[in-house]
Amino acid sequence: MGEIMLDIRNLNVSVEGKEILRNVNITLRDGEVHALFGPNGSGKTTLIMTIIGYPQFEVTKGEIIFEGENLLELEIDERARLGIGVAQQRPPTIKGVKLRNIIDFYLRNNPEKVDYISKQIEKFEMQDFIDREVNANLSGGEIKRSEIFQMVLSSPKFFILDEPDSGIDPEFLGKIGAMLTEILRSEKKQDQIITRSSGLIITHTGDILNYFNADLAHLMMNGTIGCTGNPQEMLEQIQQHGYEYCIKCNRRKKGVCD
Amino acid sequence: MYNNRHKRGIQSNKEQFDIIDLDEEDVHKLKENLPSEIRSLDEMKAKDVQTLAEVGMLMDESNRSGTYLCYGQYGFVTAQFIEGLECIPIAEALERYLWLKEKYWFKAIRKNEDKIVETISNSIPRGFFIRVRKGYKIKKPFQAALYMTRSTRVHGLHNIIILEEDSELTLLTGCTRAHDAKKGLHLAISEIYIGKNAKLVSTMIHNWGPNFDIEPRTCTIVEEGGIFINTYCSTNPPRTVQMYPFTHLQGDNSSAKYASIILGTPNTYCDIGGTILMEGTNSGAEICARAVCKGGNIVQTGLIIGKGENCRAHVDCAGLMMSNEGMIEATPALRALNPNARMSHEASIGRIAPGELVYLMSKGFTEEKALSTIIRGFIDPGIEGISPELDAALTEVAEISGHGEEWDVIPIRNR
Repeated sequence: MGEIMLDIRNLNVSVEGKEILRNVNITLRDGEVHALFGPNGSGKTTLIMTIIGYPQFEVTKGEIIFEGENLLELEIDERARLGIGVAQQRPPTIKGVKLRNIIDFYLRNNPEKVDYISKQIEKFEMQDFIDREVNANLSGGEIKRSEIFQMVLSSPKFFILDEPDSGIDPEFLGKIGAMLTEILRSEKKQDQIITRSSGLIITHTGDILNYFNADLAHLMMNGTIGCTGNPQEMLEQIQQHGYEYCIKCNRRKKGVCD
Repeated sequence: MYNNRHKRGIQSNKEQFDIIDLDEEDVHKLKENLPSEIRSLDEMKAKDVQTLAEVGMLMDESNRSGTYLCYGQYGFVTAQFIEGLECIPIAEALERYLWLKEKYWFKAIRKNEDKIVETISNSIPRGFFIRVRKGYKIKKPFQAALYMTRSTRVHGLHNIIILEEDSELTLLTGCTRAHDAKKGLHLAISEIYIGKNAKLVSTMIHNWGPNFDIEPRTCTIVEEGGIFINTYCSTNPPRTVQMYPFTHLQGDNSSAKYASIILGTPNTYCDIGGTILMEGTNSGAEICARAVCKGGNIVQTGLIIGKGENCRAHVDCAGLMMSNEGMIEATPALRALNPNARMSHEASIGRIAPGELVYLMSKGFTEEKALSTIIRGFIDPGIEGISPELDAALTEVAEISGHGEEWDVIPIRNR
């Protein structure tokens, strides 16, 4: 069992004075990928935005520890530089800022990654998007592709995918899943230490899990984690009986899910 | 002819600056033949060379077709021999070519247009004459620089640029001051004639600072199929600058694009506009004005007049407020004189959206880098094949704008 990478303890989060998350606890170990299920408005995006460090999400209680560091003491960019990479669901368009500017930024900071970055441009078929404004006039699927591509460029230790499977066709999802598995989940030797990226995936439908393995799943309801367990089993419960049932299910009562 | 009638109705507080207060002594200086402060460009100090490089004027001419440098009151030309290209001081050109006075000298701009033009018209002719002969396309850019030295105090220049039929030229103009120059007034007239199917790409970079007042007057006449692309970038604004280049698209299928990128800082007044008159059938015009205000007053005006059949035009003025101080006034204007003119305009002023900033920061950009990246995108003039000099100037504007203690508008802290 790996070291604890991300430890979220008793976390309460408010937005504009309204409490959205309460008493959230998640422990994620090095090399693990967790899935986060939950209905609309349950607080999933709030949780990941809080981890990333968006300023409007105010932590009123609890802590988030990433590799021993208290994330709440760090600015959003400092967290990114610790190795937290995110593929957002609704990224903004920035007038005049092209994908090339973001690629150049990664290249300037990591000139040794020039081959790796060129390979990813090909793999994600991003050639035609490089000189276009980032996220401008893209379809939902293209935005996902662009965001995951950018996340991959940063070679994150810990990645966060916000609904990578909503709004894209199954064939493309299969491709993305295979690429992510190859890039993020394959074991890499770095100075003789074998590493794998860890991550958190938000998914409504669980479709991405058909192509990308998660080790553990959490179900978020009404701003707190209602259940934690085997991703496939939980997904089956949710698909067959709904979120409410999943939380109240007998298995959980018996302590199977936990 | 140059005209600034469109300025009517612009509300601004320019009156607080006593700008065109032409000192008698300064005006007198313009009428005198003063000796040069240096004998050749090689005598320039390293600091001069560096300051000039910041506005795109390089001593290494390997990527230049020639150089004109007005050092103080004295003009130097170091044009290499390039077939089809001619550059000489304007006084020499007036002596050599009698037709210059008849056809071009004060033919685009009236001598009595305003006090500035009148002052220059009564001075000793200083400035450059550039001509590109018929059919010649000059590949490397020609560089012209106007350098105000400590003792100059007032510049009065009159430049004439003639592109004959089917010719092309890229012109880089840099205007700046010596590091020890404390005060100055820069007056300039440029009359530009773009012949049939000729193309002029002109980029002007200004780096001044407080206590300098800048008053250029430019008029361009474009014949059939001619193209004029004019970009102005100010990396360090003077105390006041006022310019309204006027372009007359006389010929059918002629076109013009103005792009201006202004950085405003406290205690400065930048009044930058432009008028394009589309007279030729199928002529086209575009004005793209970008301002970043960290203080001071910026007035952006753009007027396009559609007179010719099937002419088309777009004016776009956009401003970014980076401070609680200062002002941006954007006034895009259209005037149609032909029912088949197709013209549009837009104007927007705002601040950087916090969502854009944190988005880039979530990718590891520092706050400063994120700001400068967003500003660099905002001020991009959308010109194909942007020159390295302009790129460097725009990057500098973005970096200066994104840097500084004044920027505390966005609550980034999450503590």
